[in-house]
Amino acid sequence: MIFTSILNGLITGTIYGLVALGLVLVYKGARVFNFAQGEFGTVAVFVAWILHTEPPGLPMLVALLLGLAAATLMGLLVERVVVRPLSQKPRVILLVATAGVAVGSIYLQLLLGEAEARVLPRLGGDRVFFVLNAALIWQNIIMILALVVIGVALYLFFSRTALGLAVLASSQDNLASQLSGVSTRRVSSLVWGLAAFLGGMAGLLQAPLSVFTPGFMTTTVLFPAFTGAVLGGMTSLPGAFVGGLGVGVLSQLGADYIPETIPGGRELVLFALLLLVLSVRPQGLLGKEA
Amino acid sequence: MATSTAEATAAVRRRPAAGGLAARGAVASVLVIVVLLIPVVLPSFRASQATRAVIFAIIGLSLNVLLGHLGQISLGHQAFVGMGAFASGLMVGKGIPFFLALPLAGVIGALAAAILGLVALRIRGLYLALVTLAFGFVAEESIFNVNALTRGGEGMPAPRPPGFLSDPAYMYLCLIVLAVVLLMDWRLVKTKGGRAIMAIRHDERVAATLGVNVTFYKLFAFMLSGFLAGIAGSLFAHWITNIATNDFVLDLALVWVFMTVVGGLGSRAGIVIAATFFALLPILLEAIFPLLQLLPFINADMQGRLPRIVPVIGALLLVLTLTLYPGGIGQQLLPIRRWLAGGPFRDPLKHGRKHASRPAKRRRRRGSPPTPAGDGAATTTPTEAIVDAPGPAEAASAVAEAARATRPTGDGGA
Repeated sequence: MIFTSILNGLITGTIYGLVALGLVLVYKGARVFNFAQGEFGTVAVFVAWILHTEPPGLPMLVALLLGLAAATLMGLLVERVVVRPLSQKPRVILLVATAGVAVGSIYLQLLLGEAEARVLPRLGGDRVFFVLNAALIWQNIIMILALVVIGVALYLFFSRTALGLAVLASSQDNLASQLSGVSTRRVSSLVWGLAAFLGGMAGLLQAPLSVFTPGFMTTTVLFPAFTGAVLGGMTSLPGAFVGGLGVGVLSQLGADYIPETIPGGRELVLFALLLLVLSVRPQGLLGKEA
Repeated sequence: MATSTAEATAAVRRRPAAGGLAARGAVASVLVIVVLLIPVVLPSFRASQATRAVIFAIIGLSLNVLLGHLGQISLGHQAFVGMGAFASGLMVGKGIPFFLALPLAGVIGALAAAILGLVALRIRGLYLALVTLAFGFVAEESIFNVNALTRGGEGMPAPRPPGFLSDPAYMYLCLIVLAVVLLMDWRLVKTKGGRAIMAIRHDERVAATLGVNVTFYKLFAFMLSGFLAGIAGSLFAHWITNIATNDFVLDLALVWVFMTVVGGLGSRAGIVIAATFFALLPILLEAIFPLLQLLPFINADMQGRLPRIVPVIGALLLVLTLTLYPGGIGQQLLPIRRWLAGGPFRDPLKHGRKHASRPAKRRRRRGSPPTPAGDGAATTTPTEAIVDAPGPAEAASAVAEAARATRPTGDGGA
């Protein structure tokens, strides 16, 4: 029973971790809490779903790739239209602006389509197999693999490439890296594009697990992912992995073990965790600054 | 504060003539009469819809205490409004008269906000936004689902008080409460407490060295905001007379934040206008739907989904406001306000007398600690209240541009 909870929590945690990665990337790059991060996922899912189900009905894999492309494009667009004009404003203003993007995107989806639940087909079919009494499907395996692959790729990008180094440098000292020839505008675009790509990835992996509705990534994933990012440390990319997985497990335990007479066990656990981290260790488990 | 000395002297020096005074009095009274006539002139169901605008205005003013005055954000205001609503419904159901339940609902909102305020003493800036968001979620998913408190999904009846059963009468009641709230906000801004809160917004440490009790006034601002939200919740509950858990969701809280920013932080009139716009937009759109259908991407079966466009338009307006007019509607209203208060219509800082005005303007742009307000001029600059923001109304002027250009790039506000 407890093993099942932990395994389920880890699987949800991969999605939290992916979204948290995007949040941390943007925070490192622009010192912004990006409330639109969940919407990158929802938009990717909607684009993939429309391309796959509406005639002419593209193959699933092509639809998924185009969904990812749409999410990335949205990230670049948000950076150009909203973030860059506001880059000199207080961070709280930018936060409200990204929340505006999220709400606008959700209600645009609601306006253009019905609020009904939709289904995105699973990769690898619906066959269930059991690992120590816990039911798994191929989609779960793909999720875990995706997180590992992305983790390794990001590690290599930031440690081995000049571009990755430029991103880290401009995150640490924008002016100094500008003076040493880094185009901070291009870095900003890159960061938002990458974050949106990760967000899109998270959405496309999450949606097939059950049904999806307009704004589902914002309403169900964004807040746990934020908690995960804070737990791991807002400035630490490995922290986002750890925090996301940790929050996945803890909130699953909360949902499973807090008695039903107290509704909202998951939210209570997250709230308590957030307060605990912020008051005891505001820089998070692996972060260097608050 | 917020009254530049140059503006004050300009207003005093140029007393309007008798004709001007009469014109100002006439315009002001026409405005008041129009508002007072709304409930009687409109058909009953329209008056009921208009009541929504009044309640939104109170919520906007509640958010303004935090966002505009204190410079802290709340993304969980649905929690306070909802708590006020359910508390009021519960109390009236238990036989407590409405006019006692209304302030008590405010007290409950204030107590809840005090808890959040205690957290806010330790956690600042962006992280506080997360905590308020989490608080809203907890209220939504946990507290509002405790059946003993809210009756869960079946809804809680909240009857209107005797004497205010009809829609126009209830709207008058809400208007009276709004008037009191406006008065409260005005007095707050003009007195010691308000100045202390605004000093904290500018710089907490400077405020502390000036003798402001930061802990007390932060908590006070949170509690005041929660109080107003609780009262708005009570009015809301007895307006729709049956409340359910999903009346208070995050989307709504975000729309309220957008509404307050679009109205102009710190601007009472701007916030009331923005609240009216946001609350009545669905009705307006419904009225002009035949026209909207001429647009290529709108079709007939969208009519039922029309209210969903409000957050979309709200988000658009928010981004436009933040990027182009950081002072919101309040910024646009500035000439009218100045004129109604007895000053000239045109900005005395921009037109003529430049020698007197320039230094004062520069001083204010640097965000110096507030200067005591002069009594004579009510010409506040609402735009200044944007959370630590540069860019007040005269953002377009050359001085402002120069100041912006010299500012170092990475001024992370948080």
